[in-house]
Amino acid sequence: MSAIDRTAHLNPWRHRSLTEKAVLALGMLLLAMIFPPFPTGALIAGIMASVTLLGARVPVRTWIACVLAPAGFLFLGALTLLVQFDGDRLSWAAGGGAAAAALIVRSLAGLFCLLFLALTTPASDLLAGLRRFGLPSEIAEVALLIYRMLFLFGDTAKTMDAAQAARLGHRGVRRRLHALGMLLASLLPRVMDRARRMEMGLAARAWDGEMRVLGRRPVLSMPALILILSLEAGTALLGVLAS
Amino acid sequence: MTLLEAKSLVYAYPGGVPALRGLDLRIQAGRRLAILGPNGSGKTTLLLHLNGTLRPSTGRIVLEGEDCGYSRSQLVAWRRRIGLVFQDAEDQLFAASVAEDVSFGPLNLGMQDDEVRQRVDETLVALGIQDLADRPTHMLSFGQKKRVALAGAVAMRPQILMLDEPTAGLDQKGSWQLLEVLTRLESLGTTLVFTTHDVDLAYSFAHDVALFKDGKVLVQGVVDTVLADAGLLARVELRSPFLMELGLKARALGLLADASPLPRNRDEVLNLFGPRAL
Ligand SMILES: Nc1ncnc2c1ncn2[C@@H]1O[C@H](COP(=O)(O)OP(=O)(O)O)[C@@H](O)[C@H]1O
Ligand SMILES: [Mg+2]
Repeated sequence: MSAIDRTAHLNPWRHRSLTEKAVLALGMLLLAMIFPPFPTGALIAGIMASVTLLGARVPVRTWIACVLAPAGFLFLGALTLLVQFDGDRLSWAAGGGAAAAALIVRSLAGLFCLLFLALTTPASDLLAGLRRFGLPSEIAEVALLIYRMLFLFGDTAKTMDAAQAARLGHRGVRRRLHALGMLLASLLPRVMDRARRMEMGLAARAWDGEMRVLGRRPVLSMPALILILSLEAGTALLGVLAS
Repeated sequence: MTLLEAKSLVYAYPGGVPALRGLDLRIQAGRRLAILGPNGSGKTTLLLHLNGTLRPSTGRIVLEGEDCGYSRSQLVAWRRRIGLVFQDAEDQLFAASVAEDVSFGPLNLGMQDDEVRQRVDETLVALGIQDLADRPTHMLSFGQKKRVALAGAVAMRPQILMLDEPTAGLDQKGSWQLLEVLTRLESLGTTLVFTTHDVDLAYSFAHDVALFKDGKVLVQGVVDTVLADAGLLARVELRSPFLMELGLKARALGLLADASPLPRNRDEVLNLFGPRAL
């Protein structure tokens, strides 16, 4: 979570308009779901991977690290399509190979679409976008605070964990579990204390109950949007012709 | 002229020991005030009273001759004039990026977007953190977080800016830069108040000092007088400032004329011993 967000913050496309990025990622995701995996899904996977790595210059290592975990589950799941269980014998399923390949390609295409968005757009930008889109500001503010707190608690928990380890609190499973219990128990009061102090900090800056900040809102580039839409139209056309 | 005054404040944390026990303090326009006392003597608690975060059980806060009220709108009006920078910067930073965070206060003052944008830019430049503008607040070093928290308060151009242990945890360069920024801010008409347990900092940076002990101000006065009183300092478990002792010694040895002021910083002390060899 933190690694993805960090990458997104530093991404050169972070300051491209959210509309462009969302239309590209969600549009392609929709097409990948509607049209058959071959050739459309494969094409979409290829396009989204290239856009992410070559266009938005997401570091290849980060991207691969993000793909690996879901891809692992995906391949395991697809394996079950390869075989069938009839009576008491395990045998190759007829057409199992094709079904597994279709599942994998379609899912990867979808994954690449979402990863593109996640790796170029920090969560806070997505929230700001949802807010413009009609998300009530109260919900957006709470979500923003939770987002901020996640990092605070993540850091606190990590420090506490390291402090426990430094005092050899992690040797053996029993001790490890005990230490984890203590960590979680003392995290809650800390959370409450942090929240209280954060409220005082906001109040000290004349907070009147509404959280206004001046965001930098990138301008939508029409040429980029038209390019994205034609790319999607082309993909859709290919999908229609192929099916 | 007295800007802000605390009159016989008494306060105890819920279920806790008394933190303030009949405390009096005056903040004078344009005079840097150091609130000096050991850990746990109630300095932070006092600052939280001076911006209305905590409410005394008895006593009152007077802002330019008028008693401060605690209604929501009165509190907001109060905090527009009195800024507070917390010791722990994490308590203040909430927005996703540095520039957004700094814009929060000025927007609460009711300034227009364009003005706010300009104010944010100016403040970031003044604090030398303009290249952090788009950085997420959770990806900053300790010193950077402190500066961003300071920027958030400075951008509101308060009449009085109170800082809780401003140099605690900063390295030498960080502290020195901070004091320089504060001096510049002062020239725009802000009165500075800071808490510290560091006599040397109080001596070299403040005009006035309030000695704190067990939730009370023992004495408030000009730095040279208060910090020269070794007996008084001993009562708050502090020693007199090193530079001051050196200066007095130099006077005794005839290196410094009786009429000349005592040295306030490294260079002034070193100059007592003759011109610096290059
Ligand atoms: N949130 C709190 N709850 C209960 N007691 C507190 C709290 N904060 C401070 N205190 C107590 O109040 C006294 C003054 O604390 P504080 O104002 O933080 O001192 P200082 O800032 O001078 O170190 C201390 O005895 C401290 O233990
Ligand atoms: Mg304190």
